[in-house]
Amino acid sequence: MATYSLANERLRALEDIEREIGAILQNAGTVILELSKEKTNERLLDRQAAAFTASVLHVEAELSAQIRYLTQVATGQPHEGSSYSSRKDCQMALKRVDYARLKLSDVARTCEQMLEN
Amino acid sequence: MAQQRALPQSKETLLQSYNKRLKDDIKSIMDNFTEIIKTAKIEDETQVSRATQGEQDNYEMHVRAANIVRAGESLMKLVSDLKQFLILNDFPSVNEAIDQRNQQLRALQEECDRKLITLRDEISIDLYELEEEYYSSRYK
Repeated sequence: MATYSLANERLRALEDIEREIGAILQNAGTVILELSKEKTNERLLDRQAAAFTASVLHVEAELSAQIRYLTQVATGQPHEGSSYSSRKDCQMALKRVDYARLKLSDVARTCEQMLEN
Repeated sequence: MAQQRALPQSKETLLQSYNKRLKDDIKSIMDNFTEIIKTAKIEDETQVSRATQGEQDNYEMHVRAANIVRAGESLMKLVSDLKQFLILNDFPSVNEAIDQRNQQLRALQEECDRKLITLRDEISIDLYELEEEYYSSRYK
């Protein structure tokens, strides 16, 4: 199966952003949980808080870039391209192959009957 | 020099709304998180009793945490909307996908036809011999 690289790349980037949003909420929860403890682990706290801030800024930058790209490429018109004609030609070619197979099996059956007789 | 394409009003408004949603949600997450951290600080002097202040802080933190979660879900919805917009309006990707599909199908069709022609050539040789045999026999 051929890879639709350009489209998939952007969609994969958006899926990564979704995962990162989940990580943002998780980091925020970890920081607050750590703060609620009697004895806080300061290093963990700093690390999680820094990760939270970095993730938030990264998500903002990535989504802004995606929106900027869409502003440049979107035309407002519906896309009217299609692969219908090549799909139809391929379908006809496969039908020709099936027909040839059918006829060959008929010939083979006839020959076998002749040989039995 | 990049030309400014004139987008229809609806599409331009839509993209601007995406930008606004993004800015608002990020701001909401950052502000609410910062306020929670500030609220976590225990003050020595309070205007109300410690218990009341504690209850108030507890309620405020709940509300702010809910706001952070709401903003996170709103961001997820925004990403989903962007994916949909990308699939429908990213013409370079759609064109490339259509071209690749056409190439695939054309290659398959050419291979089928090539194999059929090979088969035809082989069978015509065998058929020639069979006809020779048949028409020179007593069964014709």
